[in-house]
Amino acid sequence: MLSKNSLKRIITSAMAAALALTMTTAAFADEPYTAYNYDYWEAAIPSQSAYRVNVAVTGADMGLGRLSDPSDPLFISEEAPSSLKDAKDLYYDDDNDTFWVCDTGNDRLLRLDRDLQVTGCFMGVNGDSEIAVAEDGESKFDGLSGVYVKESIVDGTLFVYVADADNSRAVKCTVESDTKLKLVQEYLKPETKLYDSKVFNPSKILADAAENVYCVCKSVTAGAVQFSADGEFQGFYGANRVEVTAAVIAQQLWRKIASNEQIQGMKRNVPVEYANFDIDNDGFVYTVTEAANAQTDAVKKLNPAGYNIWDNSVGDEYKFGDLTTEYDATQNKSYKCRLTDIVVSDNGTINILDFENGRVFQYDKLCNLLCIFGTKNSTSDQEGSFTSPNAIEAVGNEIFILDGSKNDITIYTETTFGHYVHSAVALYDEGRYVDAKPEWEEVIKRDGGYALAYTGLGKAALTEGEYSEALDYFKTSYDRDDYDKAFKYAREEFLRKHFTAIMVIIIALIVVLILVKILRKRGVQKFLRTIIKGGD
Amino acid sequence: MYEFSPMGWLKHCVFHPVEGFEDLRWKKQGSLKIAFGIVFLLFVAMVVDRQLTGFQFNENYVKVFNIVPLLVQSVVYFFTWVIGNWAICTLLDGEGTLKRILVYSAYSLVPYIVCTFIAVIFSNVLVQEESIWITAITYLGVGWSVVLMIQAMRAAHQYSFGKTLASIVGTLIAMLLILFLAILLLSLFQQVYVFGYSIYTEIAYRIRG
Repeated sequence: MLSKNSLKRIITSAMAAALALTMTTAAFADEPYTAYNYDYWEAAIPSQSAYRVNVAVTGADMGLGRLSDPSDPLFISEEAPSSLKDAKDLYYDDDNDTFWVCDTGNDRLLRLDRDLQVTGCFMGVNGDSEIAVAEDGESKFDGLSGVYVKESIVDGTLFVYVADADNSRAVKCTVESDTKLKLVQEYLKPETKLYDSKVFNPSKILADAAENVYCVCKSVTAGAVQFSADGEFQGFYGANRVEVTAAVIAQQLWRKIASNEQIQGMKRNVPVEYANFDIDNDGFVYTVTEAANAQTDAVKKLNPAGYNIWDNSVGDEYKFGDLTTEYDATQNKSYKCRLTDIVVSDNGTINILDFENGRVFQYDKLCNLLCIFGTKNSTSDQEGSFTSPNAIEAVGNEIFILDGSKNDITIYTETTFGHYVHSAVALYDEGRYVDAKPEWEEVIKRDGGYALAYTGLGKAALTEGEYSEALDYFKTSYDRDDYDKAFKYAREEFLRKHFTAIMVIIIALIVVLILVKILRKRGVQKFLRTIIKGGD
Repeated sequence: MYEFSPMGWLKHCVFHPVEGFEDLRWKKQGSLKIAFGIVFLLFVAMVVDRQLTGFQFNENYVKVFNIVPLLVQSVVYFFTWVIGNWAICTLLDGEGTLKRILVYSAYSLVPYIVCTFIAVIFSNVLVQEESIWITAITYLGVGWSVVLMIQAMRAAHQYSFGKTLASIVGTLIAMLLILFLAILLLSLFQQVYVFGYSIYTEIAYRIRG
């Protein structure tokens, strides 16, 4: 009996173990995207995932149900929807650790805390406005699509800037209570000849340290519309250039020949307006252009005068987004890149969101591609994939992505690999190459094909005077310019070390050559005879 | 007049661009063996230039190494040049035989090959700031070879200078035509092959089933 029992026990435990093993394999989940990077020849090569999906937060998770609960202080109305709808913008206010969401489809502005729990809901602004005033005296938002929040550097007042597109206005307001905003300044369509567009629909909004307000407007191609703090139109800021295509060149030629009437009938070559922008702590404005596969001015870093400082005279070529178009065989369609939002994180990394493929491209300060993550939503509707990603925010080591179709905010957290990349790059960009060395080594342990790591290690070796090692690293990362620098030092060192040997060889060669010449001229026998005779 | 070994004649031609090839023709010299050797060295120079140029100067796509384009660019182009030139100049009262054109053309390529080798050696000891030396050497090689080639063709066919230039332009056009026809022929034969193969599979299926 006992032996039978123990046999049973063994069998059951073995089965349980087998089951547990199969279960662990079944429960294993990779990231929903395939991580890749671009090599020197702009070919996509596999890489490690630098970010993993943490969680996707829907409206219900944010506690939006509180808005329709009469007993709650955040009560708006009985019908207030408890989900987001076609949300267009997300902004993180790092002074107060709050998120701001433009819930465009529901015409409301939401304030969330660091854990994405709702702490405020604003349907409009109170104050001296003529536009869309409701019975309770509140001027309602309509199709708001951009929000920016900043504390004034003068007195620390928190100002909320909202691009209220369908009301053709932008507003600057202060927070009165959890449900009320007070209007400070309204920015309307500029009434000057300079502003030649018929409409004024600000879609994104920014303010600089001097509280000048910048609005990106649809169909305004001359740049962002700039207002001073008191609402006066200042002009346009940082227009894109026209992308030079064959059609543009052809039209330029036709214009030379055509009569004035014909020219009037022609299309004008205007640049594509940029879709979105972000401002960093130093006051530089970063813009992205959403036009499919835009090459010219796809991403810019503008100084306060509106000049692109990445378009420099050094001849550097900065490229952003996908470098190859992706072909989807199942839909017989090729996806191109459409960069829709940009955010610069505290540590200086630049994150660019691609609307078409749901990818985030992360660059360092010097525009080196660090990693690519995120993916297009498939039929399986996986967490971490996107249908229409509208906005991106970076907070600490997390990336928040707002999806306007799935109506949620997805949080991506950096992996160990991503952590090492970021800490290495932070040191590398400061020029502390040797300090970055252990970090880069950790990166290489996880992704042996990460070219930037080899450049980093090469620079560390160069700083330490290990020239041949540096040459090897630069060769691996195919960094020809840095290889050249290292080669110069290596050559100098080689010459210095072997100077005597080299000189001896050269002198010996010269002597031999002279001897051979003499021998040929005089004949060998005569020469030998002179030697034997003893110098007679 | 001159009495040289075959290699001596080669040296004489290379260093006497004005009368070298005339002397060569007058003395009925020029070795076919050496000419083929030079063509082979041209191919070697191409490979060396692609593979052994110093890393800081090498802009080639090093992920894949395919020898066929290099073979075409050296050996095939050379023989197309010879045949094209022979075809054109026979029509234009040129006195050159096929052998003579081949030998003279090959001899005039020597400076280019030598300078390519020198440039490759330089590229392994110089840095980008000093790249002017490599450029200079390369230009020297190409220029010298072009001068020699014009002189060689002039001597081979007993042309005036203007007619030589015209015949060279004609030769280049002839080369294009030859290569075009060759590619056309290749693709046609490929289609014939595909046609034959599909008939074979069709019959094979019928017989089996």
